[in-house]
Amino acid sequence: MTIRKQVLLLLLFLLFIMEGTIVPWILPSSWQNVLMPNLVFIVLLFVSIYHNRHTALVLGIIFGMLHDVVFYGEMIGPFSLVMGFSTYIMGFIFRVRRAPMPLMMTVVILGSLLFDSMLYAIYRLFSLTQVTYDWNLLHHILPNLVLHFVFGLIIYVPLRKQLEKIASRERKEKAA
Amino acid sequence: MLKLFKLLGNKRLFVILIALVMFIALMGFTLGPRASLSWPEKFMRDTVGFVQNIFYKPAGYVAGLFKDIGNMREIYEENENLKIALAQYTREKATYNFIEEENKKLQEALKFTEAQMQKYNYSYHIAQVISVNSDPVNQSLVIDLGERDGVKVGQSVISVKGMVGVVSHVSNFTSTVKLITSMDAKDPNSNGIAATSMDNHQTFGIVESYDEASKMLLMNQIKEDDPIKKGDMIVSLGDTDKYPRGLIIGKVKSVEESKFGKTRTAMIQPEAEFQDWKLLFVVFTPEAPK
Repeated sequence: MTIRKQVLLLLLFLLFIMEGTIVPWILPSSWQNVLMPNLVFIVLLFVSIYHNRHTALVLGIIFGMLHDVVFYGEMIGPFSLVMGFSTYIMGFIFRVRRAPMPLMMTVVILGSLLFDSMLYAIYRLFSLTQVTYDWNLLHHILPNLVLHFVFGLIIYVPLRKQLEKIASRERKEKAA
Repeated sequence: MLKLFKLLGNKRLFVILIALVMFIALMGFTLGPRASLSWPEKFMRDTVGFVQNIFYKPAGYVAGLFKDIGNMREIYEENENLKIALAQYTREKATYNFIEEENKKLQEALKFTEAQMQKYNYSYHIAQVISVNSDPVNQSLVIDLGERDGVKVGQSVISVKGMVGVVSHVSNFTSTVKLITSMDAKDPNSNGIAATSMDNHQTFGIVESYDEASKMLLMNQIKEDDPIKKGDMIVSLGDTDKYPRGLIIGKVKSVEESKFGKTRTAMIQPEAEFQDWKLLFVVFTPEAPK
């Protein structure tokens, strides 16, 4: 059981690496400055819904911090705060056992919106960006949303199966 | 509000608030200029950088292969243009050599000190991009040169075409490059670039912000009688010790009256393409004697 969890961690790290290295090459050149896919965040949303929102919170803070430190441009903290907070909130609002697919996709959409909007709000607060929210919504957040949605659809079946296995084993262990 | 308290449970709300305050304090603390990174940060960056290095290059090659096949037709035309450019270059090289020799003699005659003579003798170190940040507001790249290779915070980074950004943080084996597209006049950490035109050194202005909506750099504080015009190539002036001389920034797209009158503002189309990152150069300026 613990092995499966470690594999999940390793996969998350691999996904984080891919985000910065392979994804920019897959995207067409003209989209490279438009899209900012955060694939780790989408996986964490799944963890938050199908496994445990507290685990998702901790993982969000850790991977957000990793992102902040590795791509240290302006400051440390925004990704960590936003990833932890929005995965936790999504898991808190949608406390449904065995959530069906449409619900999960709604979570992906809302979570993605919350994530990008909060990130924008933080940058605006520290006046690191001057564009308006409308412009940002149209040029970054919505294109991102589509990409996140597609990624969510792709990983839905395999990820849910694995996460539910982890959850059911934990329940059995608790019962025993 | 009371209902919210009940919903969350007092303890949890308390923890959330404390965490929020801590995070904002962390952001505020790391926002300003920092002398160097702490060792956990360096360790994390170098470890992740090592893994990223393994992935980025092969991905680039594969993607590059597909693009090359797509570009096959354009290669013939490009080759023709390059031949013309090369001929021009050889002709100008001869003139350049004469002028440089003459310049050296004059400098010796005028008893220039060693530091004065070496002032513009820059060296360019090649750097491989190892990953790209996925956040358009806080755009940064990671390159595979670090403290070990002598990279320092504040050094300029250029691509083959033009200026790309400035080294913002350095760890042992990697460093982060903050792109000039995140330049902002209101940001206390970003320095404006004193700039001039390549053909006409009468021109003077300061490139200090980037307009995300139109994807143009803004060059401010241009005097009204300035000879700047559309199509001029803008290069860094290098009067301050922040930026080296003669780095290509971009082409002037339009010149407008500034908001407050009296001066003008030029919109500059950056020469460097901020996509498909591969090789960059870090510009090393000669050490200033102490």
